[in-house]
Amino acid sequence: MRAYQDMVFSTAARLAGNDTQAEDIAQEVFIRAYEHFSDLRGSVTAGGWLKTVTTNLSLNYLTRYRKRWRLFSEMRSSSEDSEADGPELDWEVPDTILADLSAEQRSAIVEAALKQLPDHQRLPLVLYHFEDLSYQEIADKLNVSLTKIKTDIRRARGALLPLLQSCGGVQDTLDS
Amino acid sequence: MNKQTESEQKLEQVLNQALKGLPPLRAPSTLESRVVNELARRALLPWWRASFASWPMSARVGFALISAALAAATILGGVSAYLGDRSFNEVSALVLSWMQPFLAVMSSAGGLAALLVRVIPPVWLYGTLGLGILLYVTLFGLGAAAYRTLYLRSSLAGDDL
Repeated sequence: MRAYQDMVFSTAARLAGNDTQAEDIAQEVFIRAYEHFSDLRGSVTAGGWLKTVTTNLSLNYLTRYRKRWRLFSEMRSSSEDSEADGPELDWEVPDTILADLSAEQRSAIVEAALKQLPDHQRLPLVLYHFEDLSYQEIADKLNVSLTKIKTDIRRARGALLPLLQSCGGVQDTLDS
Repeated sequence: MNKQTESEQKLEQVLNQALKGLPPLRAPSTLESRVVNELARRALLPWWRASFASWPMSARVGFALISAALAAATILGGVSAYLGDRSFNEVSALVLSWMQPFLAVMSSAGGLAALLVRVIPPVWLYGTLGLGILLYVTLFGLGAAAYRTLYLRSSLAGDDL
């Protein structure tokens, strides 16, 4: 368990955007692992199994609360989306970001910025950049259209960049 | 390739570099003890209070057989106690007699509907239908407005769930 607990907790925390919920999810993951201990013991795929179960449980946890609102969420038109989720990308993208910070500092800034994104942007973004899923796989997992996933990820990136830049600037100031 | 698409691709690469290779978050020190305590708590539960899937196979088969037997005995016992020694024809007549009021109501309702269609002007019928659709759309709009006002705003602020 010790070998995998950070990976399981990280996956759950990034998807759920909430450390308390992530701890609940991680607990359930390890209880399921215990129930399948005979299959997982010594298996080289144990890490992948844990990652998959963590992802699925996190999504279940979130969709349990989101399902009732999905109808109205899908109803929003693209113009309303752009108004609600921020403007299109209209600034200069830097060549690097947070590059001169340590891994720990970068991690703290990224995790804080991710928590500020709404669920419908954070989930696909984390699945794409951290879990290496394709757009189609994410659309299948979240049961929404491919177009919506692409739009949400694009807007999530647009929302994340200024958050990272402002947090990075603050971090630089604090360090100096 | 337009400037917007180029910027988006560059942003994807830049974010990928920033997000890749981040160290995993440190799990809370309480996680391991929580899991162990929960496993111990579940282990202390008697087997019949655990989920059905984790019951011993013999208990699961026995439970299914006993449940099926009880259900069958209840249904057969109830039916035979009610019908007694009646013949098949008597049973059929009895069932028909139960259905007669229902059939009479359905027949009356059908007759009433046919009469109304003949008597009421078509404009009224279409007007009523239109009003029904209007009310449905209004309620749907109210639901959407409530969603945007009560839920979406907090979701966009990142404090939902």
